Amino acid sequence: MKKNVVIGFIGTQLDARFGAERWERWRPTVALGMHEDFVVHRMELLIDMRRGARLAKQIAADLAQVSPETEVCLHDTYIANPWDFESMYGALHDFCARQSFDPEHEDYYAHITTGTHVAQICLFLLTESRHLPGRLLQTSPPRARQDVAGAYSIIDLDLSKYDRIAQRFEQQQQEDRSFLKSGIATRNAAFNTMIEQIETVAIRSPAPMLLMGPTGAGKSQLARRVYELKRQRGTVSGAFVEINCATLRGDGAMSALFGHRKGAFTGAVSERAGLLRSADRGVLFLDEIGELGADEQAMLLRAIEDKRFLPVGSDREVCSDFQLIAGTNRDLGREIASGGFRDDLYARLNLWTFELPGLAARREDIEPNLDYELERYERSTHQRVRFNVEARERYLRFAMSADAQWPGNFRDLGASVSRMATLAVAGRIQVDGVDAEIARLRRLWRSADAPAMAADVDFEALLGERVAELDRFDRAQLGDVVAVCRRSRNLSEAGRTLFAASRQTRRSTNDSDRLRKYLARFGLSWSDVTVS
Amino acid sequence: MLELDGAAGGGQLLRSALTLAMCTGQAFHIRRIRSGRSKPGLMRQHLTAVDAAAAICSADVDGAAPGATALRFTPGTIRGGDYAFAIGTAGSTTLVLQTVLPALLCANTPSTIDLQGGTHNPLAPPAEFLRDAYLPLLQRMGADVELELQRPGFYPAGGGALRASIHPCPLQPLTLRERGALSGLQALAWTSGIAPSVGERELAIVQRRLGLDAADLQRRTVQPPSGPGNALLLFARHEAVCEVFCGFGARGVSAEAVAERTCEAVRDYLCGSAAVGACLADQLLLPLALAGGGTFTTARITDHLQSNARLIEKFLPVEIDWHESDGCWQVDVRR
Repeated sequence: MKKNVVIGFIGTQLDARFGAERWERWRPTVALGMHEDFVVHRMELLIDMRRGARLAKQIAADLAQVSPETEVCLHDTYIANPWDFESMYGALHDFCARQSFDPEHEDYYAHITTGTHVAQICLFLLTESRHLPGRLLQTSPPRARQDVAGAYSIIDLDLSKYDRIAQRFEQQQQEDRSFLKSGIATRNAAFNTMIEQIETVAIRSPAPMLLMGPTGAGKSQLARRVYELKRQRGTVSGAFVEINCATLRGDGAMSALFGHRKGAFTGAVSERAGLLRSADRGVLFLDEIGELGADEQAMLLRAIEDKRFLPVGSDREVCSDFQLIAGTNRDLGREIASGGFRDDLYARLNLWTFELPGLAARREDIEPNLDYELERYERSTHQRVRFNVEARERYLRFAMSADAQWPGNFRDLGASVSRMATLAVAGRIQVDGVDAEIARLRRLWRSADAPAMAADVDFEALLGERVAELDRFDRAQLGDVVAVCRRSRNLSEAGRTLFAASRQTRRSTNDSDRLRKYLARFGLSWSDVTVS
Repeated sequence: MLELDGAAGGGQLLRSALTLAMCTGQAFHIRRIRSGRSKPGLMRQHLTAVDAAAAICSADVDGAAPGATALRFTPGTIRGGDYAFAIGTAGSTTLVLQTVLPALLCANTPSTIDLQGGTHNPLAPPAEFLRDAYLPLLQRMGADVELELQRPGFYPAGGGALRASIHPCPLQPLTLRERGALSGLQALAWTSGIAPSVGERELAIVQRRLGLDAADLQRRTVQPPSGPGNALLLFARHEAVCEVFCGFGARGVSAEAVAERTCEAVRDYLCGSAAVGACLADQLLLPLALAGGGTFTTARITDHLQSNARLIEKFLPVEIDWHESDGCWQVDVRR
């Protein structure tokens, strides 16, 4: 059985009772020896012997009488001012340093009922920081007149030992995660796991975070949520500053980020703080960080590492303590290889990297996001909009099918819902509205800026009766080849696009010829595929 | 290994089991110790009894910890000698002494035992009870035991001291059907660390209620006091037996009320014809069983006595029976 060791002050108020009637008063230190179900094997008692020698002697004698099991060790402790935090902490810290704790064989208890409130705070801090490797012991006076021992309770600062507190934390955690997901009950396991990690990192770490993912995957929204969670937890107090680096081009980029001094260059008529300084004690979200120029990257690295940087035209450095979240839809690792991105900056950013999957990779999350987008529409327009049951099924069937590419991810979904809601009659989205929207989406995804889809090729028009002889295997390949040809200005350009990878390794190339021969296999020529 | 259910009786069941285990060499395993109490399991005063028993017979003990609800006790050989035990929380010295006394009577060599703690505790026999009521009967059975109350100690401060000298000898059966003629009534009021007038007021009531001579009233003060306390002891001496009754002063209870209540108990006893009161009856069972037989009469068969009898029968080859006779109960212990 482990020995119980109590560490505490002899109280100059509550413990200081003399005469026979002292036994009828609750004295916290002596009462510790009077509990039927708690044996104190040793008491390490702190007291200033210059003032309290008589008291110490009496407490030791009384403890010996009521608790012969207890060995009492008195520690003469001089504290100039027991209400002064620094000297109290120092004295107790010294005391702890002198003790040779043996937690394998002894359980330690810091008795916090006696001593000044400052002493109580210091004992708490030392216990929490494990300088005192034990638990807190709180004693309280008796309720009944006959009793003088009172009550005691042991407070373990390891909060996971308390079921109800653990439940609370669990609930808080769930709320935080739900908050990061904007309250959307997402079902994609990989995504949910990632959110759990982001929650932990957001709360515990001020280090930069890198959010990777295609456009519209929700990087910006997530960054803002992370900021708000950090602000709730008090780890940031400043603002959320957001900028898409693709919009920072040319001379203005430096000054937008790092600020400038008045008169630093033509047009600098007044001083500008810059985004980094605006984000002081807050969060700076740099989206599309891969678009940042070389000079800006160098300066940003220094700003992350030292929290200091030089505004344009200034010869004095300024400070900003911001937490960085970076977003990118490019593979920064590849950018480094091509010299477009600094590897040392990437190393800094790559500590906490999270890859946000696109909507097409999270098809099970389309339904909860559909509800979310509907609610969002309702909130912003103050109009109630509902799907007809059949319409909803039809839309979801399409949205979750392989047909739906969602190249713009959540942005596409939001726009789609917004269109259907706007066109809905009397707040009901009906089947015809959904059908029209599906057609609209197909068209949009086929249009100029998106690559043409193999699925859009009309093989019958192209091949006539021969379409029956076309294998599915060939259909996919031919579809893509035709789509590329139609986007290209001439045969050579199409060839270069189609054989881009093998071009790199071959010494002599004749891509046009390869393409011509391929088309000929289906009895097609350049003009056949492009003119239709 | 004898299996015992601790729920059948409180701390007393455990103490009796310890005594019987020491005297018979029979190991036991007790479960559900003091179950149903607000603080179940072993308390510090019980642990002291376990420790004392273990020290005297070199027992192997498993599970002795505050709050433990199960305990395994395997006794070894009893060794006489000089022992000292201090009991925390002003726990009863008399209960610990009663636990180990029968065992030391079976030892090879004489013993002295010094006990510190409470000597006058509610829910425990006071030292004077052991000295004037219990031990004279043991002496009649052949035991050679002397008891000295060196210093009274009261709850909550404790600080009392008790010393017993024990010369081992075999116990003979005892027959105690009649208490005999009344030879004297006496009163003793202890005060410690409180106004001595408390004792005076108690004695005044005793004198009035029981009609005692002034010479039979004694007031004593503990000097120097180790804590506050008050006990009123009344001795009813008959030819064959002495009974001791005790009342305790407490905060919020007047000295007069304490005295009235104690006198009431004495009068109840005097009105009856049984030889011994409930407390003494309970405590006589064990020595009688160790002696292999005996008989006494008592006014009531208490739950304590019943559970104690059942326990003794588990350890020793005896039968304990009781039947009503002449308005009281006769208890017989037979092999």
